Amino acid sequence: MIVFNIWSVLQWYLRPIIKWFLRKTTRLCELQRICYGEKAGAPRACGVERSLMLSRTQCVKEVVSYLDTVVYERRFVPGNFREILDPSISVVMRAKKINPKLHGSFIVSFRQCLEQIWSYRSLMDEVEEIRRTQFDSGNPEHEEKLLRLWSLLVPHDKLEKRVTKQWQYIGFQGDDPKTDFRGMGILGLENLLFFATEYPQASSHVLSHSLHPKYGYTFAIVGINLTSMAYYLLKDGSAKTYMFNAKRHLPNINLFHRFYCYLFYEFDKMWIESKPQDIMEFSIIFKKFENAIRTELADPSTVFRINIEIDTI
Amino acid sequence: MGLLSILKKLRSSPDKELRLLLLGLDNAGKTTLLKQLASEDVSHVTPTAGFNIKSVLSSGFKLNVWDIGGQRKIRPYWRNYFENTDILIYVVDCSDHQRLEETSTELAELLQDDKLRNVPLLVYANKQDLATALPASEVAQHLGLHLIRDRTWQIQACVATDGTGVKEGMEWVCKNIPVKK
Repeated sequence: MIVFNIWSVLQWYLRPIIKWFLRKTTRLCELQRICYGEKAGAPRACGVERSLMLSRTQCVKEVVSYLDTVVYERRFVPGNFREILDPSISVVMRAKKINPKLHGSFIVSFRQCLEQIWSYRSLMDEVEEIRRTQFDSGNPEHEEKLLRLWSLLVPHDKLEKRVTKQWQYIGFQGDDPKTDFRGMGILGLENLLFFATEYPQASSHVLSHSLHPKYGYTFAIVGINLTSMAYYLLKDGSAKTYMFNAKRHLPNINLFHRFYCYLFYEFDKMWIESKPQDIMEFSIIFKKFENAIRTELADPSTVFRINIEIDTI
Repeated sequence: MGLLSILKKLRSSPDKELRLLLLGLDNAGKTTLLKQLASEDVSHVTPTAGFNIKSVLSSGFKLNVWDIGGQRKIRPYWRNYFENTDILIYVVDCSDHQRLEETSTELAELLQDDKLRNVPLLVYANKQDLATALPASEVAQHLGLHLIRDRTWQIQACVATDGTGVKEGMEWVCKNIPVKK
């Protein structure tokens, strides 16, 4: 504790000195050193974010809080990027005395970092809102999504009624899935639906594993627990590695769904490989899986992708 | 520690570790109750696949609370957790009228089990905040609690999501810890 305190005090005083020294020797400010020196993706964007958050320059602080406000007002969408980012970038350039004529490539990469950082923050709000929306059987849209999930996952069998034991086939707990979404709200359903829609092969492959007589598990319930995991990884910032390293995609809701699909596919793999005795081993294997994912995310250079291989078990 | 500070009263007990078993149908509120006991956020609960366990330390007392999933597929595994249980806590969703009978049957089966013989029973009549919830007295009748002769029991109305009544139940637990040989 004391060591930590001394370190943070030292850092408070040392950081400006080190920065001044580097500035004099490299003739670049910290943001430039990050944008030129770090690899594009998570290493660069996370570096820029850290630098901006630690900044004690008044106008940089103002830019940060301005961008946060834009996110709060739900206006941080690609259509507005120019209008929002152009002035913010020039403020930082002026404050850091960066010559735009000499450092054109800095502007490009700095802009990309800002887009990534604040899209991520915007995504956090969006996901939170979806999670807070409870599943409501009175809402035709929710009902339609639920029924669509069934028809995507079990195309050969029709649902006899809305409330039926059949739901247990895809791993809900009882006759009516509505009570299973709980704390994850409609986000749990949206995640499952995306998995079934965008990755029909992978999801039916995973579903078939969940029906295995020996290593079976409850598909939907495990899915909702993975929603919870994806949600927490997003919230505590661990998912930045995934989101910032996704080429050609800014953090948005679809990317969050993709992240979820990745987790589901990988969890299934680990579960089957662990050869669990029964479902009671779930909490242990789930924890092990989460730790493995956290370790991977801790390395900013990790790039994730689903490697679909259909095996027979 | 909030709620669990009442366990200070237990200092006189020679045994410092307690095993509490939380059972009940799915969606009864077991995990929410568990989180409430551990003073954790209850707004992000997900259905339990398998089980959750939390150990809460309070004044040198270790409380091991086992929360086992309630769905039908998991119920056959409940038995594996019966051994050495000090207190059985059974949670009922009082607004789920359709499954009152199912929950009564499950409880009756539990009470017949040898491994749970004489183990004190606390029933939490949960979700009392919902308009459709049956009062605890009626739930007690449905469950046939007044017919129990072989153990001490108590029914406690509660709202696990905001903690109402949870403390009262735990106080009863403290007073009824079986004396171990």
